[in-house]
Amino acid sequence: MPQVKIIAKNFMDMVASLPAMKLDALYHNTFICEAILRSLPPLAKKYILQMLYIDVPVTAKAMEEWVLADGFSKHRVAIDRLIQLRVFTETSDRKKETSYRLNPTFQTNLQKHLIYGGVLPREPMPSNITVRLPSLDDLEAYALGQWECFLLQLISSTQTEKLTNFSSSMMKVFQRGLLTQREKEAPRLTESGFQFLLMDTNAQLWYIMREYISNSEERGVDPADLISFLLELSFHVTGEAYNINTLTEFQRNTIKDLVDLGLVKLQQGRKESWFIPTKLATNLSMSLSDTSSRKQVVHKTNYLMHSSTAHVLSNHYIA
Amino acid sequence: MAPVPSKLYSDDVSLLVVLLDTNPFFWSTASLPFSKFLSHVLAFLNSILLINQLNQVVVIATGCNSCNFIFDSSSVPANPNLENGRMPALCSNLLQKLEEFVTGDEKLSKEVLAAGIGSSLLSGSLSMALCYIQRVFRTGPLHPQPRILCLQGSPDGPEQYVAVMNAIFSAQRSMVPIDSCVIGAQHSAFLQQASYITGGVYLKPQQLDGLFQYLSTVFATDLHSRRFLQLPKPAGVDFRASCFCHKNTIDMGYICSVCLSIFCKHHKKCSTCGSVFGQAQSDGNSATDRKRKTPET
Repeated sequence: MPQVKIIAKNFMDMVASLPAMKLDALYHNTFICEAILRSLPPLAKKYILQMLYIDVPVTAKAMEEWVLADGFSKHRVAIDRLIQLRVFTETSDRKKETSYRLNPTFQTNLQKHLIYGGVLPREPMPSNITVRLPSLDDLEAYALGQWECFLLQLISSTQTEKLTNFSSSMMKVFQRGLLTQREKEAPRLTESGFQFLLMDTNAQLWYIMREYISNSEERGVDPADLISFLLELSFHVTGEAYNINTLTEFQRNTIKDLVDLGLVKLQQGRKESWFIPTKLATNLSMSLSDTSSRKQVVHKTNYLMHSSTAHVLSNHYIA
Repeated sequence: MAPVPSKLYSDDVSLLVVLLDTNPFFWSTASLPFSKFLSHVLAFLNSILLINQLNQVVVIATGCNSCNFIFDSSSVPANPNLENGRMPALCSNLLQKLEEFVTGDEKLSKEVLAAGIGSSLLSGSLSMALCYIQRVFRTGPLHPQPRILCLQGSPDGPEQYVAVMNAIFSAQRSMVPIDSCVIGAQHSAFLQQASYITGGVYLKPQQLDGLFQYLSTVFATDLHSRRFLQLPKPAGVDFRASCFCHKNTIDMGYICSVCLSIFCKHHKKCSTCGSVFGQAQSDGNSATDRKRKTPET
C-alpha cells in the first residue's frame, strides 16, 4: 500500500511550509538533518553529498550536466524538493543565471554529523535504577494495545468512558474528515474514515501526527518544536529508559499525549521516572523515506494486526 | 562495446563492500598519508550509512599476505547505545580491527621483498567479498543492492591474473559491479578490466587530497541512480593477460583451443586441461598457429 509514502510526503510538505526562520532553526538539530536527508528521493540525497563541502553556488546549468537524458525529470523533482525544504538556497546573479548552494546551517550540521556522529541530548539510564524494564516483545504488545485503544475511541460513537487522556476537543480534531459530525445525528464513518482504517499502522500514525501538529498552534505549542521533538524521538533506542527530567516542560506535556498513542511508555522508579520509546516512535523516521516497497515486509505484522483491528472496529461500528 | 546488462533496482538501498589496500610498502611511499586517507574513507563510509537507514557497509582489508573482514555495519553492536554515537563507534571498531590485521599480516611475511613495492592480495579480498555477497543473495528477494569498491594503490601482481579474472567473471555472472578507485601512481589493468566487464566505474583521482569529493560524487552513487547520472567512462582498457606458465604479462602468445589457457611459449600439452597440442610451427611461419589475444570490440 502506498499510503505511507503519500502521508509521509504530506508530513514533509508540512515541514516545508514552516516559515523560513523556523525551518532554519530545525536544521540546527543534526538528527533533523539526518531525518530530512533520508526522506528525500535518491538523486536529491546524492546531490547533498556532492555539495556538502562546496561553499560556492553551483549553476543550475552545471548541475544539469550531471544528469543523463533519462534522468531529467527525476533531476527536476529532486531539485524542487530540495528547494521546497530550504535545503538548497537559490540565487540569481546579474546574468539572471540560477545557482544553488546548500543551506549553510544544514551544511555545517551535516558536516559535523558526518565527521563526529550525532549524539542524543540524553543517555539511557543505568540498568540498576531501571528495574522492571519491559522486554521488547512486551513493549511492542503495549504499544499496539495503546494504539488500538486510541483507534477505538477515535471511531466510537457511543463510547461513554474515556479510553485515552485526550480532551474531547482534541479527539474532534482527529475525527475531522473521518467521521461525519452533524448535529442531531450519530457520527458515521466517512469514505476517508474507511480508508483510514485500512491503512497500515505507520500510515495511520502519520495521519494522526499531522493533525496533532497542525493543531498545535491553537493549543499554544510551536509546531517546529513539536516536529523537532518527534523526529529526535525517532532516533532514540527502542526499549531503553530515558530520564524524564532531561525533558523540557513542553516535551513532558507532549510525552503524556504520546503515551496515549503508544509511542512511549512511562515508568516510575523509587526516585526517578523515565520514558521508554516503543517501535512506533522509532519507526517514524524510517517511514519518512520515499522507498515504500521494502516496508511491505516490515509491516507484515502490522497488516495482520490492523486487519483484525479493522474487523473488530468496524464490527463495533456497524453494530 | 555492448552495454553491460544490469539488474533494475527500484530503490537505493545498498550493500557496499570496500576493499582497502593496506600494503605497508605502498603506503610508506604514497603521496597521501595513510591516516589522511583513512579520514576521507571513514567520512565516506559514514555518509553511505547516513543516507539510508537500511544501507550496509562491509570493509575487507587487502594485505600483502592475507585478507580479512575488518568492519560490518550490520553486526550487532556490543553496546546498543553506541548506535547513536555511530561515528565514534564506527571509527574505533574499524581502526582497532585494522591495526590487528596489519600487525598480523606483517608477521606472515616470510622474506623481505628485494625491490619494489610488491602487490597486495586483490584476488583474495575480491573472492571474500563475492562470497559474502552470495550469502546476502540467499537471504531472499529483499536484499540490498550489492556492489564492490576497490581502493587500490599497490601495483597489479601478474601472478594473481587467473584468480582475479575468475573473480571478475564471477562478479559479472552475479551482476555485482566492481568500482575501482586507484590511488597508486600507476593505472591498474586488473581493475580497468574488472570495472569494464562488470559495469562498474574506474577512476584514478587526480588530486588525492580531495579524495572525499571523488568518493561522494562518483562512488556514493547507488545502482538505481546510475541509470540517471553521468559517471566517468573508461578512456581505454588495458586488456593484457599474464601467461599461465610464468605469470608474465604478455600481449602475444599461445592459447589452448579447448580451455583457453594462455602460454607465452609452445608446450607439448596444456597444463590446465591436459589437451595435447599439435606439432610446433617454427617461428616466422604463417600466423595461423599463433593466436594473438586481442580485445573484443
